[in-house]
Amino acid sequence: MENNNHLPDDHTGISPVPDSKDDAAPKLDTEAEEIKNEESQNEESDPHFDLEKASEDIDKFLSSLTSDDVSVEVPELVEKYLDLVEQKVSGEGRAKWCQFPDEDSAFLESLDRVSKLTKSLRELKPEEEKSESRGSLINRIGRIQQRAMSYLEEEFRFLLEESITAESESESAEPEAFPGYSDEVVSGLSKIAKQMISGGYESECCQIYIMSRRNAFEESIQRLGFEKYSIDEVQRMNWESLEREIATWIKAFKQCATVYFPGEKTLADRVFSAEFPSISASLFSNLTRGILIQLLNFVEGIAMTKRSAEKLFKFLDIYETLRDTVPAMDGLFQDECENELKTETNTARTRLGEAAIFIFCDLENSIKADTAKTPVPGGAVHPLTRYTMNYLKYACEYKETLEQVFNEHSKIEQIDSTNRPSFEEGSNTQQQQQQQFGFMNSMDNENENQTPFAVQLMTVMDLLDTNLEGKAKLYKDVALSNIFMMNNGRYILQKIKGSAEIHSVMGDTWCRKRSSDLRQYHKNYQRETWNKLLGCLNHEGLNPVHGKVAKPVLKERFKSFNQMFDEIHRTQSSWVVSDEQLQSELRVSISAVVIPAYRSFLGRFSQFLDAGRQTEKYIKFQPEDLENYIDELFDGNPMSTARRKP
Amino acid sequence: MPATDNQGSFLNRISIRRNQVVSMDGNHEQELEDLELFQKHVADRFADLLSQSEDTSGDGLLSISWLRKLLDVFLCCEAEYKAILLLGRDPSQISKPPLDKLVPEFHDRVVKALDVCNAVSHAVETVRNYQNLAEIAVTALEQRPIGDGQVRRAKKALNSLMILLEEKEGSNHKSTERAWSFGRRSANATTSSSKDRATSASQFRSLSWSMSRGWSAAKQIQAMSSNLVAPRGGESSSPALPVYIMSTITVFVMWALVAAIPCQERNGLLTHFPVSKQLGWAQSIIALQEKIAEEWKKKKEKNRLAGLLEETQRIEKLGVYLIEFADSFQFPPDADRLEEVAVQVAELGETCKKMEEGLVPLQQQIREVFHRIVRSRTEVLDFLDQGGKVTASTM
Repeated sequence: MENNNHLPDDHTGISPVPDSKDDAAPKLDTEAEEIKNEESQNEESDPHFDLEKASEDIDKFLSSLTSDDVSVEVPELVEKYLDLVEQKVSGEGRAKWCQFPDEDSAFLESLDRVSKLTKSLRELKPEEEKSESRGSLINRIGRIQQRAMSYLEEEFRFLLEESITAESESESAEPEAFPGYSDEVVSGLSKIAKQMISGGYESECCQIYIMSRRNAFEESIQRLGFEKYSIDEVQRMNWESLEREIATWIKAFKQCATVYFPGEKTLADRVFSAEFPSISASLFSNLTRGILIQLLNFVEGIAMTKRSAEKLFKFLDIYETLRDTVPAMDGLFQDECENELKTETNTARTRLGEAAIFIFCDLENSIKADTAKTPVPGGAVHPLTRYTMNYLKYACEYKETLEQVFNEHSKIEQIDSTNRPSFEEGSNTQQQQQQQFGFMNSMDNENENQTPFAVQLMTVMDLLDTNLEGKAKLYKDVALSNIFMMNNGRYILQKIKGSAEIHSVMGDTWCRKRSSDLRQYHKNYQRETWNKLLGCLNHEGLNPVHGKVAKPVLKERFKSFNQMFDEIHRTQSSWVVSDEQLQSELRVSISAVVIPAYRSFLGRFSQFLDAGRQTEKYIKFQPEDLENYIDELFDGNPMSTARRKP
Repeated sequence: MPATDNQGSFLNRISIRRNQVVSMDGNHEQELEDLELFQKHVADRFADLLSQSEDTSGDGLLSISWLRKLLDVFLCCEAEYKAILLLGRDPSQISKPPLDKLVPEFHDRVVKALDVCNAVSHAVETVRNYQNLAEIAVTALEQRPIGDGQVRRAKKALNSLMILLEEKEGSNHKSTERAWSFGRRSANATTSSSKDRATSASQFRSLSWSMSRGWSAAKQIQAMSSNLVAPRGGESSSPALPVYIMSTITVFVMWALVAAIPCQERNGLLTHFPVSKQLGWAQSIIALQEKIAEEWKKKKEKNRLAGLLEETQRIEKLGVYLIEFADSFQFPPDADRLEEVAVQVAELGETCKKMEEGLVPLQQQIREVFHRIVRSRTEVLDFLDQGGKVTASTM
């Protein structure tokens, strides 16, 4: 590619060329030797010929060539100019680039003239008789140019590789510190690049740039702790290690998107400046594409790992990182590259999203699959309830992300039913999904405006309910069944009320319905356990006739009350209600029905028993005792019976 | 894209037919017919590749265009395979022998194939470097009048190229180490030629992105090809066969890519993996495998394994010639010689152009294969899971 037309034509402002500090040890190099030979050939050239003057002449000569004068004579001054600059542009013995900026500019200016001479003389149609001398002149210029360019290549590489100063090991380094070249170095790089490109050495220049930056970038990313793993390795790693790698990945990805890529872009733009925007863009794209694809491959690998519930949250962390960080890269890339990388990041995100949906929906399966036939002792909160609710609570901390994931990546139709024809992507997708979920949901009418995620959450809750109802039936004792339902229902409700996110999804109506279900269980329990007991305290059949009651009946009543209460106390103090409020509500409500009834029964009928032995035998409990015993219920403590023995 | 069209029509056809027969409860005959058809398609496609491999105009065996065709074939076969495996099938069938073992094994292979895709895709960058160096030589040698400077420039680029193309079996690939051992800017190098080499090699320290430490393409191919056993007896007409066919195709395609593109760690790359000679569909694959192995052995003897890709072989051959020319170049040049050289330079330029036009699409196609493999694996797993769900809910 020819870029010479980018060069400004006006180069008359010549800075003084300092004396060559050519005292370096001679190098055994073919090119150097040849140059020396040429120098000796040119010994007779005028030593006082002034470089400044010569440069002006060359510039004049070059501008005269722009007119279509093909018969122009290649003047001797070109030879003389070359004699003067040859040594200077060889790079022999020069100080490192950027140490003496004036020297650098002088070098580049001279090289620029040489490059222009090369180009111009090539374009001239040589007159036959002069072609030989013209040819050897061009040959000489070409050799000088090649030597100078080789030298520049090395300087360019050296600056890129060895002059990264600012990048510190510590993470607190300023973001601007990347990639860490000083302004002088960047401007040096830019000048060299410009000269190499306009002299036709674009390939060399770009290759050095991309190699050096690729290596430097890999080192930077390693410094962030990001290690490469093949997808195969990722599949074999244990989850704990992967979790650590995910954390590092997130850090690395953010750093790349917000600091490294923009830094790299700025560097490319500054080095290749406004003059070569397409070179700058393609180098930058090539470099970052490689890094980005590698980062995304890790995500692909992660999304492919065996799906399991505990992974959901890390998946969502990565998902959020991709979602939130990728926009930071907007505008960095050229269209074509940007499209490709957008597609790549979206694909990776979709895979994660699909995996997340799968995992979340898999909760349905874990619930369905929990078919253990052993009831939890004491009617306590079932581990499944705890697990499910805690999981949901945690999941709902990602509620917005999950809603997005469900909206964007749902393939539920395919997962849920094989025979259903896959429907067109369309505006009614969501509605159809809801319809599909709707039939599973007892609260159909409420769900019309709900997101697919909310619907899924409802589905899970309903499944959990169904499962718990099944588990409740495992208890032979209906009262205990009710306690079990109360415990679990209470737990669920508390969890939902405790998390604003789930609460907002489930809604108040749902919670009210739940509360009323709970009251129903409570009533059922009360009826099952205590109505029978209260039957003992029924006055029926005990109405005093002529101041007397049927004593055997009365005795029987006391006896069965005592037995029954004893039995209830024995059994139910081993039952479990761990929610303190529920426990006290239950106790209070029990006391409220039992104690007044007992007190009144006692008040009415104790007089009919003979004081002393009979009273002692049949009246085992004072109302206060009952209260104490009731307070021992639902402690999950089977030992309390022992304490009771008088 | 032909791959997609093909896939679409095939899927449609097969799904329509499957839907028709599904009511008849697992029509075995239909399945046999589909299987027959699949084998025929595989045979035809690879026969096509085999005939293209004879091409001598530069698009033959292991050329970029041939590799792209190979990837197309992979995509087509893969789509058909998935259709045969999934459509109209009851998921529970896949969780029963022999598929319960074969499908997970296939998925293991496929995960390794993904890494191979990535390694090869990285290594395309290496090939792009070869191209870049060859292009420098072309630019330099196209200059007229030609002089010492440009010849020197070309020679420098070509020498670097030759160093890069050197890859011995048994040595870790390439310039990375060499560059370090020479050090950079070795100003005090004792001989001019070693200095020349040192500087040129250090330019190319790391030619492409690397895979994880210790990752080896050769080992992955080895692992992919283990357990590759043709189904026998009754299984040979069962769904075990398409799994075996697709496994073989996957191994072959990945192997061919690794052979062609100098990716990370190819030491001890297999030159042969067993494919039963009796299988009709495998004949062309076997023939291609032998041809590639042949090429591999030839290059191994010359310690120039890096350049098995047709285009690299070509630039290598032309490069050798042009280095000779550069070594003997004296100004002013001999006009006849120059004409000869111009032909070679033009050919080198053509090859570079081919690479310029072909490498990016190749890289994109490798990525397409990557994504396809990921997606298919997920689809099969989802399909299986759905089987699991059915059983769970009927409990």
